[in-house]
Amino acid sequence: MQLPESIAEIFMKRLAGKFALITGASQGLGRELALTYARQGVRGLALVARSKEPLEKLQLEIDRIAPNLKVAIIDADLGSTKDVERVAAVTLAACEGRLHILVNNASTLGPVPMPYLLDYPVEDFQQVLNVNVIAPFLLIQNLLAAMIDQGGSIINVTSDAGRVGYPGWGAYGISKFGLEGLSQTWAAELAKTDVRVNWVDPGNMNTAMHRDAEPNEDPTAWADPAAVTDIFVFLASDAGQHVRGERLEAQSKWWAGLQKG
Amino acid sequence: MLFSPGVSSIKRQVLELTAVDQKPGFSLPADLSADRPAERRGLSRDQVRLLVIDRYADTVAHTRFDRISEFLAPGDLLVFNSSRTLPATLIGKARDLALAIEVRLAELLPDGTWLALLRPVSPEKIEDVLAHGLILDFERDLSCEVLNRDQRIRRLWRLRFSKSGMDFLDLLYRIGQPIRYRYLSAAWPLNYYQNVYALQPGASEMASAGRAFSWKLLLRLRGQGVGSTSITLHTGLSSYLDNELDRQHLASEEVYWVGEEAANTIRRTRDSGGRVIAVGTTVVRALESTAAEFGGEIRPCHRYTKLRITAGYPLQIVKGLLTGLHEPEASHLDLLAAFVQPETIYAAYNEAVQRRYLWHEFGDLNLIL
Repeated sequence: MQLPESIAEIFMKRLAGKFALITGASQGLGRELALTYARQGVRGLALVARSKEPLEKLQLEIDRIAPNLKVAIIDADLGSTKDVERVAAVTLAACEGRLHILVNNASTLGPVPMPYLLDYPVEDFQQVLNVNVIAPFLLIQNLLAAMIDQGGSIINVTSDAGRVGYPGWGAYGISKFGLEGLSQTWAAELAKTDVRVNWVDPGNMNTAMHRDAEPNEDPTAWADPAAVTDIFVFLASDAGQHVRGERLEAQSKWWAGLQKG
Repeated sequence: MLFSPGVSSIKRQVLELTAVDQKPGFSLPADLSADRPAERRGLSRDQVRLLVIDRYADTVAHTRFDRISEFLAPGDLLVFNSSRTLPATLIGKARDLALAIEVRLAELLPDGTWLALLRPVSPEKIEDVLAHGLILDFERDLSCEVLNRDQRIRRLWRLRFSKSGMDFLDLLYRIGQPIRYRYLSAAWPLNYYQNVYALQPGASEMASAGRAFSWKLLLRLRGQGVGSTSITLHTGLSSYLDNELDRQHLASEEVYWVGEEAANTIRRTRDSGGRVIAVGTTVVRALESTAAEFGGEIRPCHRYTKLRITAGYPLQIVKGLLTGLHEPEASHLDLLAAFVQPETIYAAYNEAVQRRYLWHEFGDLNLIL
C-alpha cells in the first residue's frame, strides 16, 4: 500500500516526537541546528540565546518549516547561574518534564581580539569558564531528571582548541579542555543509564565567532555551518543510540566506525 | 523487619505524651532547626540522619540516610513528587502608596489567577490597604491586581498578574526568591531548594522529603532493584505566618497529576507484592486521593485534592512513608498517625530531640515502614 506523501514524510523524520534544547541558538551553528531539528520533526524546541530578537526571527522561520512545532524562546546569560536555573525551569515547563536532546552549543570567546594568557583579565577568564563550562555542567545537572527515564542524548560542542593549547586562544581553549573533561566524566557517571553524552568538534566554520577569533584568515575557506549538522541529527536520533562517550569531528568521516555491528 | 544496630523498643515505654488531637506530644527546641543545607554543614546531601520507625513492630532505629537501602527490598517502589520549587516570593509596591508588600504565591487556580499570602515588608499594618482593586507593581513591569480574599483561608488573597503562562514563569524566575523562614542562617539561593529529580516548576515550597536523595544514591538503588516513579503535586505554603490559622491545619487545595507511567508502575508493584513507599506526605495525599476516587486503584489523572488523612484513615496504596520531621502543631503529624500509633511517633520524636536531630526543609528525615 502506498502511503500518502505527508505520512511517509513523518515516518522518515529522524527526530519525530522528541523535545530538544539548544543553547546559543540565535546564530551560527546553533541556528542551523534549530532549523535542521525542526525539519527532522522534533515535537518541541527550547532555544536559548543572549537576546530575544534574533530568536523571535528564528521562531518565525521555524513556523514556516514546521507550523505545529512548539518553540520556547528563552533569552538568558548563561554566565549567570540564576539564569541557567530559569532556562532549566522554563524548558521543563515547556517540554512537560520530558527532554530527549540537549545541545550545549553556546560559548563565548571572551574579549576579542583574544589576549595572551599573560594579559588576560581574571574577570574575563572567569566569565568564559562560566559560560563554556559551568553552564553546560548546570544544564545537564538540572535537566537530567527529564532525560533519565526515557533516555536522551547530550551533545557538547567543543573545538580543536579543546585538545591543543594554541597560543592566543586564551581562556576559550582552556574552557574547551574543561568541557571535554566534563563530557568524559558525565559519560562515565551515566554509563549505566540510557542517557548518552558525546562531544563534537564542528571544525572550522564560517561563523561570526570564528571570524572574530581569526580576523586575518579567509572565512570563505571555512565550512558553512549548515553543512556540518548531519552528525548532530545522527547523535540525537535513535540511530545514534549506541554511540556514547565519544569525541567526534563533524567534518571528518565521522560515520565510519559508528555503524552498528 | 530487621533493623541494624540502634534499635530500641518503645512499645511499652511510659510516655509523658498526649494524644494527637489534644496538645502537642513533644516540644521542639529552637536550636534544632536546620539553618542551612547539609552540603553547607560539612555533609553531603545524602548524609543527613534517618529515623526509621517500624510501623508494625513499633520500634525505632537511628541511621544515616545514605544507608536507606538497608531498609528497602528489590521490588519496592519509591514514589517521588517531582514538582520543582518556584521562587515564589515577590516584593511589590502598592501603587500610589509608599508601601512595600511581600507576596508569597500559594496556588495557581484553574482560571489563571493566584492565591497568595500578602504581608508588609516592614512592620506596618496593611490590612486596611488590602482591598479589591489594589494594584501591586513589581520589577520588570510586572503588576497584579488584588481581587478578593479567599473564603477558606482568610490570609490568602486572589491575584491576577499582568503576565501569564510561560511569560509569567520566565519573569518569576528573574525576580522571585524562594520562600524562606526565619530559622535560616542565610538567604540560600533557589538551587538549594530543589530535589535532584525535580521536573516541572510549580511548588511554592520544596517537597523536602526527597531532598537528601543524591543521584549517586538513586542510581545505586536502581541497581539494587528498588523501583522509582514520580507524580506531580504542586505544594502550597507550609505556613500562613499566623499561629491561629496554622493551628487549624488548613491544608490548601493542591493540584496534582498522576501520569500513565506512574499509574502502571504502581499497579505492577502492587501486583507483584512490592511496597509502595511515598516520598513526602504530598505523595500520600495524591495517591490516596486517586485510590479513593477509583475504588482502590491508581489511574492516570489530574485533580485537585484537599483530602485530609488522619489517624485511622484506611490507606489503600501507600505502605511506607519517607518524610521530614514535623513541628508539634503540623497537620503532617496527623497524617503520620495513619501509619503509626501516635504514641510511637511521639516516642520516636522524643528520641530525635534527645539525639539532636534537625527539623525543617534542610533537616533530617524519617522513614516509616
